[in-house]
Amino acid sequence: MIKYILLVLAIGVGAGYFASNFVVGFPLSWVTYYLFDGSLLVLLFVMGLAFGVDREAVAKLRSTGLRVLIVPFLVALGSILGGLVSGLIFGLDLFGSMAVTAGFGWYTLAGPLLTQVLGSQWGALGFAANFLRELLTIVSVSLMVKVDKYAPVAAGGATTMDTTLPVIVRYCGKDVLIVAFSSGFALSMAAPFVVMAIASLK
Amino acid sequence: MFDFSVLVLVVPLALGMVCGFLLRGRKIANLSRVTFGVILVLIFSLGFTVGSNDDLLASLPSVGVSAFVMALLAIGFSVFFVVLFRRRLRF
Repeated sequence: MIKYILLVLAIGVGAGYFASNFVVGFPLSWVTYYLFDGSLLVLLFVMGLAFGVDREAVAKLRSTGLRVLIVPFLVALGSILGGLVSGLIFGLDLFGSMAVTAGFGWYTLAGPLLTQVLGSQWGALGFAANFLRELLTIVSVSLMVKVDKYAPVAAGGATTMDTTLPVIVRYCGKDVLIVAFSSGFALSMAAPFVVMAIASLK
Repeated sequence: MFDFSVLVLVVPLALGMVCGFLLRGRKIANLSRVTFGVILVLIFSLGFTVGSNDDLLASLPSVGVSAFVMALLAIGFSVFFVVLFRRRLRF
């Protein structure tokens, strides 16, 4: 599955580069906006459908409880600590690097937000670091699930409510769906505030 | 500042759950195949977004190394905390 994902990703990058540089007047937003959002909505519907059809899903969910709150909190803590340590490694401003990883993988938010608050250099870093977080999560789900069922949920951060959710559910099972979605949802809600708060300390 | 658009994502998920509940016991199409197909479309448009943005492509090599380490450490510590708490608290 990951083979196909990487192949399609590479084709997408190539097609995007070709369309924007060699095809005059290609409506890029059809793909980057409508196709992206459209396929995301269809995906969420289909996954909800799979969950609703499953008779055992609700029973599995009932045993979840506390995880719904603890997981996103621990992920936020781990992400910001990761930013702190990498800031120390590269000699970057520590609040800047913590603000980057406080995007929790939501690169379309972290990129523009950090550009606005700290400038385009931090914005590029915010985009790249969070984009790579999503990419690394997708690529390593099948490995991480061997460590722990919730390890891919922790890795995905805010992305576990949309882009990485299908891959996670496929490898970790349908009973992870609610924890993954709610963790991603909580982190997506928190990300704008946490990024702004940490960045404002710089 | 507060982005309400993420709330929109709950709608199709909830709608799907309701439809799935109503369709219980009936044979429906192979959902994992459908899901995989839609994932590929989503990944394609993600790649397209990066590939079609020249500023983004140009900035990737220069910030690449530190961004990679940041992503890796953010993932590493997140997984570490979650796995540690799961083993300690058995939740």
